[in-house]
Amino acid sequence: MTLLVVATYPVQGGPLALGPAELGPDGSLRVGGATVPHAQGTAAMLGAACAASKHLGCPGPWALLAGDVGRGDGTRAVFKALPEALARVRPSVVAFHYVQPVMALMREAIGLLEREAPDALLVADAGGMYAAKAAGLAPRFELMTPDVGEVGFLADPEVTHPAYVSHYLFGTDGFDPAKLARLAHERGGAARVLLVKGETDHVVVEGEVAATVAEPLVPALEAIGGTGDTLTGLAAAFLAAGFPTLDAAVCAARANREAGRVMGATPAMRARDLVAALPEVLRDNLCAWSGACAI
Amino acid sequence: MLFRSKKRTEDPGAGEASGLFLFDQVPDALWAERVLKSAGYEYALVAPPHHLRAGCDLAVAIPRVEHVGAERLLRDAGVPVRGWVDDPGSAAQPTELVTTVDFGGHLMVRAGNMKITVDKDTLVIVNTSGGGCPDIPYLNIELVGKRLDEVPRPKTLGYTLCGLMLDRAYEEACALLGVQPA
Repeated sequence: MTLLVVATYPVQGGPLALGPAELGPDGSLRVGGATVPHAQGTAAMLGAACAASKHLGCPGPWALLAGDVGRGDGTRAVFKALPEALARVRPSVVAFHYVQPVMALMREAIGLLEREAPDALLVADAGGMYAAKAAGLAPRFELMTPDVGEVGFLADPEVTHPAYVSHYLFGTDGFDPAKLARLAHERGGAARVLLVKGETDHVVVEGEVAATVAEPLVPALEAIGGTGDTLTGLAAAFLAAGFPTLDAAVCAARANREAGRVMGATPAMRARDLVAALPEVLRDNLCAWSGACAI
Repeated sequence: MLFRSKKRTEDPGAGEASGLFLFDQVPDALWAERVLKSAGYEYALVAPPHHLRAGCDLAVAIPRVEHVGAERLLRDAGVPVRGWVDDPGSAAQPTELVTTVDFGGHLMVRAGNMKITVDKDTLVIVNTSGGGCPDIPYLNIELVGKRLDEVPRPKTLGYTLCGLMLDRAYEEACALLGVQPA
């Protein structure tokens, strides 16, 4: 039961790396021979996944990464190396995260996964989610973790990037995540399960709201880059540990919020502060939330 | 919380039939924008037609009547243009929805799904968040911890539409905090 994260890290020309993600005691993250800098994005996602896996006593996440600062070179490198990664890792969950949203690459990757890892559950967030939706492949995914703006993008069949989301979707009274998630499902723009991040987190299964998580409310988390990524990392790690997807999403939402409370989140804190709070949060709560009790 | 939709200042001629310059990469579209803007053209950054999209695309719309001169200008400036489309149909424009959250000592500005948060006293950028393209973690590293009035514009550092939306948030933060954008 292994999670494979397919993503990039923000170092220009950073080498391709495939290996277990290792979270150091100082919060540093290493994959293969590469050091992944602290920032929002895949470092935050992998940090949270490492913390969850360690707490549960499960194998830690593997990652297939390459340096990319937005030119797409690292993205192309990781997609090219995906066949080798699947052969080595034999993942039960594959999560696409910060990659350049290129539809052709995602189509090729999904075709490969259907041949080589047909039972793997697929997770997408960030550029991986943009590419999957834009290419019409969202229903092949088990879980996506959009924020309220991104769920508008999933619901709009005409757009290929959240920057183009139509105004009409948002109306004048703010966002309605439940309505947008249902639209996204009906229009083929959603994974089977959506974890919509927001003031209240909505877990939507096949278009219907199955759970909401609203407490504790920590508004500063929205300002902190990477706190959506930690949520995705937690959910993906719980999935790889065998949690049903709904439980994985709900426990991830609860743990992320509780970590925000425990760390005393302010808008000037970092995602690594949240990752550092996760061991305590999981130790004190996960058993009661999920029945998954670490021995 | 303040909801505001900015009025677009660059409208490629209200009522004029528009065409599109297409590019292989978002930075090329942003480069074309700078060239056309400096030459006084009316233009808009838009999504290319659906059948011409590859993923994270951006095109530049201008009135069709100005196509030839604008193309020459871009060629002379060295901007790599992939092509021109006469009839773009329903080309979408990046959203102009801008919202803010006042945390007391910090101001967060959202543009679409991108956010920038600034210490109101020191003008230091304390966070960027949202988005999903690979330049966003890079911009996070480059911008956080630096003063709003001292950093390069996000759109000059970034490469994608996410970077462009972060630039819109940056621009609005500058306006709200009385800072001249770089």
